[in-house]
Amino acid sequence: MTSAAVSAPLRERGPDRGRYWRVLWLLATRDLKVRYSTSSLGYLWSILDPLLMSVIYWFVFTQVIQRSVGEEPYIVFLLSALLPWMWFNGAVGDSTRAFLREAKLVRSTKIPRTIWVLRLVVSKGIEFLFSLPVIAAFAVFSGATVNADLALLPVAILLQAVLTTGIGLIVAPLVVFFRDLERAVKLALRFVFYASPIVYSTRNLPEGWHQLAAFNPLSGLFSLYRSAFFAAELDWYLVGVAAAISVALLGIGLLVFRRSERAVLKEI
Amino acid sequence: MTDGTSLAAPVIEVRNAGIRYRRNKRGRRSFKDLFGGETRRLRPDEFWALKQVDFTVRPGEAIGVVGRNGQGKSTLLKLVAEVVMPDEGVVSVRGGVAPLIEITGGFVDDLTVRENVYLTAGLHGMTRREIDARFDEIIDFAELGDFLETPYKHLSSGMRVRLAFSVISRLEEPILLVDEVLAVGDRGFREKCYARIEELLAGGRTLFFVSHSERDLRRFCTRGLYLERGRLVLDGPIEDVLERYAADTAT
Repeated sequence: MTSAAVSAPLRERGPDRGRYWRVLWLLATRDLKVRYSTSSLGYLWSILDPLLMSVIYWFVFTQVIQRSVGEEPYIVFLLSALLPWMWFNGAVGDSTRAFLREAKLVRSTKIPRTIWVLRLVVSKGIEFLFSLPVIAAFAVFSGATVNADLALLPVAILLQAVLTTGIGLIVAPLVVFFRDLERAVKLALRFVFYASPIVYSTRNLPEGWHQLAAFNPLSGLFSLYRSAFFAAELDWYLVGVAAAISVALLGIGLLVFRRSERAVLKEI
Repeated sequence: MTDGTSLAAPVIEVRNAGIRYRRNKRGRRSFKDLFGGETRRLRPDEFWALKQVDFTVRPGEAIGVVGRNGQGKSTLLKLVAEVVMPDEGVVSVRGGVAPLIEITGGFVDDLTVRENVYLTAGLHGMTRREIDARFDEIIDFAELGDFLETPYKHLSSGMRVRLAFSVISRLEEPILLVDEVLAVGDRGFREKCYARIEELLAGGRTLFFVSHSERDLRRFCTRGLYLERGRLVLDGPIEDVLERYAADTAT
């Protein structure tokens, strides 16, 4: 062995901006790679869950009880909020273990710590994109038509990414200190599922509840997603409130994260 | 190393750094703990793991950290690796760090050796192209040529350490941090690792080495830091530091 084997030492590196995104992508795709390499159904699992849920709700609300909520075709109406919900639910739920699951890596690498939250948002987001063909298939199958509001889909995705990241940045460090929060978050998510317009629309809410629903940023978010199939669902007031809350949550999240980072690193 | 190195700008600067930990990990928490920030006040259930540590390292230096168990050696290494932040003072590290700390941490059981190399090297900042160029070198060094498509979980623990060392020691970072990871692995491979570290030193890398082995410390290091109860009590040539350490532990 000669010292020539030490290849190009001391390469001068400026602040490497590309590195953050490279590492983020690496971690986000790692999860998918692991999932798809360990299960024989692979991709199917990403869509089986929302599919099964949709079938259950469709059965309950169209076959068992006379439904007075939502729009036709109901299965498309359902999926257009259920799929984004799966993204939100998955990312926020997993963010409770963002640090704990990767403790070894967090302890041994100097990766910017926000990546541990952001990678969950990205990997669940990719799964969400993968599940979009499901809704397309049902739309064709049930004769639903898309309208020009489909162009709002990227806006909705961006808004959801902001919202989910904000909540994740708050939840992830707090759970390290208050382990009870892990269960509390799971419980809260179950509550939020019914408190959000997924099986129903905010337009179905009785007078007076509408104002309250606006404070749930998911109301505005799902109205954006749904507008692609149901133009009447689009409610700019809800969207505006959702955007304001999302940006505020992201700001609070970044603040909480910065302030608690030092303590989190010591704890794990 | 050479006299020329002492003129260069420092790569590691630790200024009056201190970090405190809770004595009782299961203690009650409050929001004040969480957002406490940089208060100098010590709460009753806390202790300073390191306090008023002050030194600089110039490029190419090889530094050995000496001290008994629990005196703050590993904490110092973590501070330099910037995986924890000081509660007071400043730690500034210019240039990247290749940390041989918990080296097997980044590997994923269900992925193959090949996938894991790309993952771990990528996490430490290498681009895909850089990894492509080093890939054969890494595998050769780890002696895992026949196991490229084997899931990581099926490797023996010796193989895992070999792979991890091989990846981390191929990083293009100017500073190398070594915790006592090399205690594992068979003697042949350990010698290979040591040869690799010497190679990197000869190539101008800076070494920060934590060990209990006097022989290893003498072999690599020129300068020693002696930690006692979180304080830096001696900073000097490695021989002097080892002598003092030996004298202290003898009594």
